[in-house]
Amino acid sequence: MDVLHWDGTLSAKDFRIGAFAFAQKWESCNLAFPPWSWLPCPKHPWLAPPEEEGYLSLEKICISRPNEEEDIDQISQIDTGEEETCCSRNEDVLDDATLVQSNHHELHYCDFHIVYGSTFRVPVLYFCAYCSDGRPLPLDEIEKELPACASKELSKKWTFITQEEHPCLKRPWYKLHPCGTAEWMKLLFLSDTANPKFEVVLELYLLSWFSVVGQVFGLRISLKISN
Amino acid sequence: MAKQGSGSILQFAPLQSSVDEGFWHRLSSLKLNKFGIDDSPIPISGFYAPCSHPQVSNHLTLLAESLPSDSNDESTMPPVIRGNRNRCSVPGILYNTNTMEGFHALYKQGLLKAEAMKIWEDIHSGKAVEDCAVLSRVLLISFADLKKWNFHYWFAFPALALDPSATLVDLRPASQWFTLEEAESVSAACNEWRNSSVTADVPFFLVSIDSDSHAAVKHLKDLEACQRDGQKLLFAFYDPCHLPNNPGWPLRNFLALISARWNLKTVRFLCYRENRGFADLNLSLVGEALITVQQGWREQQCVPNAVGWELNKGRKVPRCINLAKSMDPTRLAISAADLNLKLMRWRALPSLNLEILFSLKCLLLGAGTLGCQVARMLMAWGVRKITLLDNGRVAMSNPLRQSLYTLDDCLNGGDFKATAAVRSLQRIFPAVEAEGIVMAIPMPGHPVSSQEEKSVLEDCKRLNDLIDSHDVIFLLTDTRESRWLPTLLFANSNKITITAALGFDSFLVMRHGPGPFNSIPNLKAETENSLAAGMDNLALTNTDGQHRLGCYFCNDVVAPTDSTSNRTLDQQCTVTRPGLAPIASALAVELLVGILHHPNGIFAEAEIANSSSGGNFELPLGILPHQIRGSLPHFQQMTLLGHSSNSCTACCSTVVSEYRKRGMQFILQAINHPTYLEDVTGLTELMRSANSFQLDWDDDIEVADDECVEL
Repeated sequence: MDVLHWDGTLSAKDFRIGAFAFAQKWESCNLAFPPWSWLPCPKHPWLAPPEEEGYLSLEKICISRPNEEEDIDQISQIDTGEEETCCSRNEDVLDDATLVQSNHHELHYCDFHIVYGSTFRVPVLYFCAYCSDGRPLPLDEIEKELPACASKELSKKWTFITQEEHPCLKRPWYKLHPCGTAEWMKLLFLSDTANPKFEVVLELYLLSWFSVVGQVFGLRISLKISN
Repeated sequence: MAKQGSGSILQFAPLQSSVDEGFWHRLSSLKLNKFGIDDSPIPISGFYAPCSHPQVSNHLTLLAESLPSDSNDESTMPPVIRGNRNRCSVPGILYNTNTMEGFHALYKQGLLKAEAMKIWEDIHSGKAVEDCAVLSRVLLISFADLKKWNFHYWFAFPALALDPSATLVDLRPASQWFTLEEAESVSAACNEWRNSSVTADVPFFLVSIDSDSHAAVKHLKDLEACQRDGQKLLFAFYDPCHLPNNPGWPLRNFLALISARWNLKTVRFLCYRENRGFADLNLSLVGEALITVQQGWREQQCVPNAVGWELNKGRKVPRCINLAKSMDPTRLAISAADLNLKLMRWRALPSLNLEILFSLKCLLLGAGTLGCQVARMLMAWGVRKITLLDNGRVAMSNPLRQSLYTLDDCLNGGDFKATAAVRSLQRIFPAVEAEGIVMAIPMPGHPVSSQEEKSVLEDCKRLNDLIDSHDVIFLLTDTRESRWLPTLLFANSNKITITAALGFDSFLVMRHGPGPFNSIPNLKAETENSLAAGMDNLALTNTDGQHRLGCYFCNDVVAPTDSTSNRTLDQQCTVTRPGLAPIASALAVELLVGILHHPNGIFAEAEIANSSSGGNFELPLGILPHQIRGSLPHFQQMTLLGHSSNSCTACCSTVVSEYRKRGMQFILQAINHPTYLEDVTGLTELMRSANSFQLDWDDDIEVADDECVEL
């Protein structure tokens, strides 16, 4: 395929190849983070899953800076009547061998999934965030955690956060809307004066893509990989 | 780092729970689709892994996979996950009640004892040695409120309590206990154990070190062999806790096993912890515990006490999580609709003012072909507050052309259109604030008897109140005269009025100009927020009629009269080509959005579309015309401009000031006396002078019939 006439998109099969290349490079050079895993996502669970269908997953990335004051009161919704009935029955909750911990630092985590989006034929970054006990975080709280430079990225044309059903998990996740991706991916590669072969483009596709979208979350890829 | 003083009670850091949102989704699905009101206990699997961060403990996690599948297959057990080094399975059980009272009524101590009993039995039967994963268990009680999407829950991690408690002799980082050689060998052996899919998720094991400082990792069942060789022996386990001075919870049941099964008094243990996937002997701890002989512990019948209910921020209360945002279909629909509009703003129309659309209150007079379509288009633009007024019932022919009705609305004589329309809108988008009003609009030319007068006056008043409480009115009725009173009332209050009218194969969509009593505001000082500007400037001096855009009646030389009596059959049924209503309705709403985004709002000048202006608009939504007239036979559309008339029966200054002076009496007079309006506005005079004018050429020239176009 002639890269000059390429429209910036990928086929599902190319996505899988690109995904594995990306995961490999990430693991070898990006020691600060755990590796990406490939999880299958069969469209028809009762059939034998074809190889292509799956997504990259990177989970439980801590996104918050340790903050002593943050202690959101989860139990504010429970009325005091409940508390009394519970206490009276609970003689053996604690014994002398149980350590009682006083301070609970509330940390926030983020899961990232790179899924192939067949409408725009590009990778799409899905994410969700939650507290250490699993309680999901709404978007406005997530945005507070994002690094300051990310808010500039958010207002630029290619990062718009929407909420949609995760294609494999079938419940709402946030995603960076992919409608501009093909455009700027094409620009990224065409601005390179050397005329690369498509195989090379494919190998670097997800890496280049992630170096842009990852900035929204302050996930930087070390420069070593970009060579 | 010197460690805990010997002789102090060994204190374990409790396990902490973490529930992935997917678990609650799966539970809800199981409850709704499979279990119904059956509240038998559900087998579940928890997952944990050794600590992987020096400052953060790992939690015991529940995921969607912790529950049995919600598909239609037979399995009632959660899927078995083996060989995953980050997911050591913990067998468990869930008691999910059907009511809040049921949740509180659960006998927690009994449930905890029952789970502890299972561990105790596994210890005595030897199963815990074969499959050590059963040494840890998880008990969860919950109440899923599937109306409000609140999940109340409480975890327990059953631990057999030693009585008296074990004491701690020593506890220090593993790197300080092993020699350098030993440490290297232990790390290597543990990493191998962790990397093999056969043993990666086996959380309890033995570490034996021979005299050559060579370490080997063994299964628990190899204990006797290790003891015989007389080597250094440590009881190791995956420790989720990160604390430097305390071992994690799984050690409790491990010690119970060691004491009950092998009767050891001194136990050297290794809290195995990792960093970045590899054994970390600085974070890992080696300790020595002293266990006093437990009374009767070798007997299976004597079950020790159990502890393990999780505290909630130090308090003995359950936890609660609300997931309405991601599970309540109405909330999801609202958020999807919002995002759709925001996406439009982001990608195509940055100046789109969504706040105005969300807060706008629209009144639709008529819930027929035009009313149904306009309502739908308004919702598509994000308008949420819609009132429909119609006094008719849904007829059998309506569902085909009136897009909010179905056959069900026609049965038993037919529901009132206004109510059926509201129901339909709510089915499409539950968050709509729709109201239906069954009422007839008083019309000139339809005289009322004195008995009816009172109710007609009430209707007029009600119409007036409706107009006061809305920002925009759409005139979508099927007669000309029914549009008169609303036009007058809106001209009086200067609110946005949009008319759509259908002929057989042509349509008219127009926006009424402002009423006669206002001063054209200082356009530069006008902020975008004031739509109904000019209300404050109620000077009685009317503006120059020529600058004000006209209303629906401005071009008429006859007053509205009774157009419904003495009509032919085809005139009685409003017969139009089906394509017209959707086109006209869509244009009417787009015209409204244009007005809302024009800085002058209702006072905006009219623009006309012409070929030279193609693509280059001052405003992002394009031009804002006064009237759009379309013709289906030509597939053509024109934009026109019409100024207000000083003799308009609905909006000229004479009429509006008469209304202001005499109110309902004026209205009644107009309704009951067909020529009254023409007299008042001077139209009568105009007609008389036109008729008296002698036209000489009347006799000589034949005017062909088909050149006369009837308005």
